[in-house]
Amino acid sequence: MGTVWFRQGTSVELPQTAPASDQPADHARATTFRSLYLSPAPAAYLDTALRLTAIALLLRPMGPWFVSPVILSAGVLVLIFPRALRNRTIWRALALLVAIRIADDWPLADNHIYLLCYWLLAVALALRTPDPPGCLAVSSRLLIGLAFAFAVLWKVALSPDFVDGRFFRVTLLTDPRFGAASQLLGGLSKSELDANREAVVPLPHGAELADPPQVTEPPRLRAFAMMSTWGIVALEAAVAAMMLAPARRTGMWRHVLLLAFCGITYAFAPVAGFGWLLLVMGLAQVEERQVWIARLYVVTFLVVLFYDQLPWTELALDFFRGG
Amino acid sequence: MGKLAITRSARTYQTAVITPRTAPALLLAIVAICQIGLAKTADLTPWKGGGFGMFSTLDHNAYRRLEVVVEGTERSEALEIPPSLETDAARAAAFPAEWMLRSLAEGVTAREKRYRRSVSQVTITVWRTDFDRTTLRASERPLRVFTYTVPPESAPVH
Repeated sequence: MGTVWFRQGTSVELPQTAPASDQPADHARATTFRSLYLSPAPAAYLDTALRLTAIALLLRPMGPWFVSPVILSAGVLVLIFPRALRNRTIWRALALLVAIRIADDWPLADNHIYLLCYWLLAVALALRTPDPPGCLAVSSRLLIGLAFAFAVLWKVALSPDFVDGRFFRVTLLTDPRFGAASQLLGGLSKSELDANREAVVPLPHGAELADPPQVTEPPRLRAFAMMSTWGIVALEAAVAAMMLAPARRTGMWRHVLLLAFCGITYAFAPVAGFGWLLLVMGLAQVEERQVWIARLYVVTFLVVLFYDQLPWTELALDFFRGG
Repeated sequence: MGKLAITRSARTYQTAVITPRTAPALLLAIVAICQIGLAKTADLTPWKGGGFGMFSTLDHNAYRRLEVVVEGTERSEALEIPPSLETDAARAAAFPAEWMLRSLAEGVTAREKRYRRSVSQVTITVWRTDFDRTTLRASERPLRVFTYTVPPESAPVH
């Protein structure tokens, strides 16, 4: 009750359970809570964030044939025409199209596609308010904070094979996208890596060998796996805490942590789309005086682009091993 | 006039729980809580479904495997998943609910009939790989077994 979707120039009020004056204590508490957690800092880079969102959409075409060309076209329009940039109908349509893309092959869509859908919805809703930058700054803070909080919850409380280190120990051996990093930072040779991959393939139907092959794990690889396990939890928890804490108290630190997370994680994690989205959402919270933070977001966006396009771990491996 | 309307709306908006600022985050939280429920009760992989469980567990499609066995007149054979059913198979592996498995079984049945092969029953087993905590030795265990009996009116083709 009392919910109102605010639209510039219109007034729609829903009946409330009781007049505010009847509940002075509750009202004061609610006002304090809102002023602390939901009042926006004066964000200033809305247009840049929207343009980068459109670029991210163009960099990662998605969805079935009846969705993909429309999303790409909307991305182009938003970039070319300044009036389209703040056209809420376009952003609303984009949110709907991404939702269709999620539903089309549910549950196969990656989590960042869900986050993209919420972000596009947030943009469309913010453009209906008298203060789109402020509204979007709060939305993006809550979205990043909750996404990271759920990620930490899964890692720490809901997945027993993460906290005991098994997730990264196995992933560093079996996922080809981490192969070069396992050799470079974990100290595995190519032949050991290949043998390990053979060793962790299960026999069908639960069968077991009498004398199974052993997995080779150098101390450096174990240390790398444990560092990855707890490092990622610590970083994600810190980002979640900073984003969900009152904006005026976290200042630039939430930006520093988010930038650090993106700069480190997407050097290895093969989901550049997630990185771009987080950076765009972080940029939407930057205040006018934080010029260098805004620049860092754009630079990190490009760095993630390079991570995505350059096989830098393979190149580094070749360089250090004289290949 | 317009300014007055904005002021009144803004005041009401200040007291609302669901606002343009909070609505997307509330939606995220609702979807994520549902995803956790489905993952814990119906074997939805934590990596999928919008709960942000990616990179948290080895329980994902790379370590889940489907086995499809087709039975018909004088035949009982395991099938490779054909390209036309790969998406259905991936969905069923990620979320082995009965309706997902039934949809895949119906797709397998339709395909077998198109090729004029006998089919009276389709059994789908979803296998999951577990890794030993110390040695990392891998072993498979069945996550779900689903048997689909082809309805008699669409009797097997001989």
